[in-house]
Amino acid sequence: MIDLDRVSKSYEKGQPAVDEISLHVDKGEFVFVVGESGSGKSTLIRLLLKELEPTHGIITVNGHVLNTMKPKAVPAYRREVGVVFQDFRLLNDRNVYENVAFAQHVIEHAGRNIRKRVPEVLRMVGLAEKYKSLPLQLSGGEQQRVAVARAIVNRPQILLADEPTGNLDPRNSYEIMKLLETINERGTTVLVVTHNKELVNRFQKRVITMRRGVIAHDQEEGGYIEA
Amino acid sequence: MKLSSLGYNIKQGFKNIWRNRMFSVASIATMTACIFLFGVFFSILMNVNYMIKSLEEEVGVTVLFNEGVTQDQIDKIGEEIKSQAEVTKVTFKSADEAWAEFQKEYFPDNPEMAKSFADDNPLANSASYTVQVDKIEDQDKVVSFIKTLDGVRQVNQSSGATSTLISFNSLFTYVSIAIILILLVVAVFLIANTVNVGISVRRNEIAIMKLIGATDSFVRAPFIVEGILLGIIGAAIPLAILYFTYNWLINALLTKFGVLSSMAASLPNVNVVFRVLLPVGLLLGLGIGLLGSAITVRKHLKV
Repeated sequence: MIDLDRVSKSYEKGQPAVDEISLHVDKGEFVFVVGESGSGKSTLIRLLLKELEPTHGIITVNGHVLNTMKPKAVPAYRREVGVVFQDFRLLNDRNVYENVAFAQHVIEHAGRNIRKRVPEVLRMVGLAEKYKSLPLQLSGGEQQRVAVARAIVNRPQILLADEPTGNLDPRNSYEIMKLLETINERGTTVLVVTHNKELVNRFQKRVITMRRGVIAHDQEEGGYIEA
Repeated sequence: MKLSSLGYNIKQGFKNIWRNRMFSVASIATMTACIFLFGVFFSILMNVNYMIKSLEEEVGVTVLFNEGVTQDQIDKIGEEIKSQAEVTKVTFKSADEAWAEFQKEYFPDNPEMAKSFADDNPLANSASYTVQVDKIEDQDKVVSFIKTLDGVRQVNQSSGATSTLISFNSLFTYVSIAIILILLVVAVFLIANTVNVGISVRRNEIAIMKLIGATDSFVRAPFIVEGILLGIIGAAIPLAILYFTYNWLINALLTKFGVLSSMAASLPNVNVVFRVLLPVGLLLGLGIGLLGSAITVRKHLKV
């Protein structure tokens, strides 16, 4: 599903943010990527979203070689990949329903499909009753649920989450992670970048530890390894 | 783009206008001023052209002949004049007709006075041709040709007023084109700026759209719609104002100023002017809006 073959990414100065990493993630896997800030986790996510181009190496996602992908093909590729951020990135002038429907409008779904699909997803994340609320009227945990709903409403094959619990208290963090686990159980490949040690230890999934741009450890059903 | 998306994007375009309404009002106001001036200049030019046209029909060249010229010679001169490409019409008036007309004009109430001349036509030498030319600018050329013909005594041309009108018309055309061009550039710039504000305000939204997988055209469409709407609204307002003030002005001329009523009656009415001005004005607004937003979207919306 995700294949990185000796991928490097250097910014203008200094040490590469990602240094010759090779990685393979199977379809349906749940993977934590952990490491200190500056270890290259976020660069990895941005490479997978084709927001950044690798300096070296080949990235293949869901059968697409990202290096040679034409700009015109990028939108179609991104529809196969859902993404959730630490800061939620919701549209604060629109209510919960509109935020989720927005993702469907953007990829030009018909209105009747949107009216059917959005309530379905909101039920799944447990926000069916708050569909009329504006994001700022919700708690952080609820806002992140909206973001998750938006990320999965288009049924992506892969879900990338960049520090999804970074702004949340432990209880909400746990619930968001449970939600991601449920999504994974329904067949979506999930890759979560985090430095939440407790959660990583609690869920016992595959853990990839990054340190200074390289993969330091890669454990099946492991725990958080201190750098 | 799908039809349902088109509807969505048009709605977003309207929302953009509302969200940064201060800038929208500014660009609509500039557009309004621009199209209004364009409309005024256009109406004036059209009216002046109408006047010139009707003057061209009225104003002719009068050709008088030497004493003792025979009718045969006069006919020959007539043929020669008619052979000129610029000449549209040649009318002959005999001395008797000229005298009869003169009497009618100057002694309408006093036929006795005219009768005192008996059969001695005081205008015996005033048989003439009235020559009309297609374009008033060609009159001089025709006049100098007629002067070279044998048997011609005098050629009168009465184009003073017309040539003033023509030079006014061309000067006015240049000045109005210059002013309109400057205003158009300003309008394009302002619309580009308004759309740019919309783009900056919605950076976050645009970034999310791109990550979700929106195509370039989908991201750009609402901003293009916004520009076009601003352009069309900015054109519709002044056109409506002009439509009603034009009517009012013509009506005022007809009713309040008796002297001008004959002139006003011959001027093109509002529907004639708007048959051209309405589509041209709206297209101009649409074009400016499209250009303004396209410039900004190309420059600031790298997707």
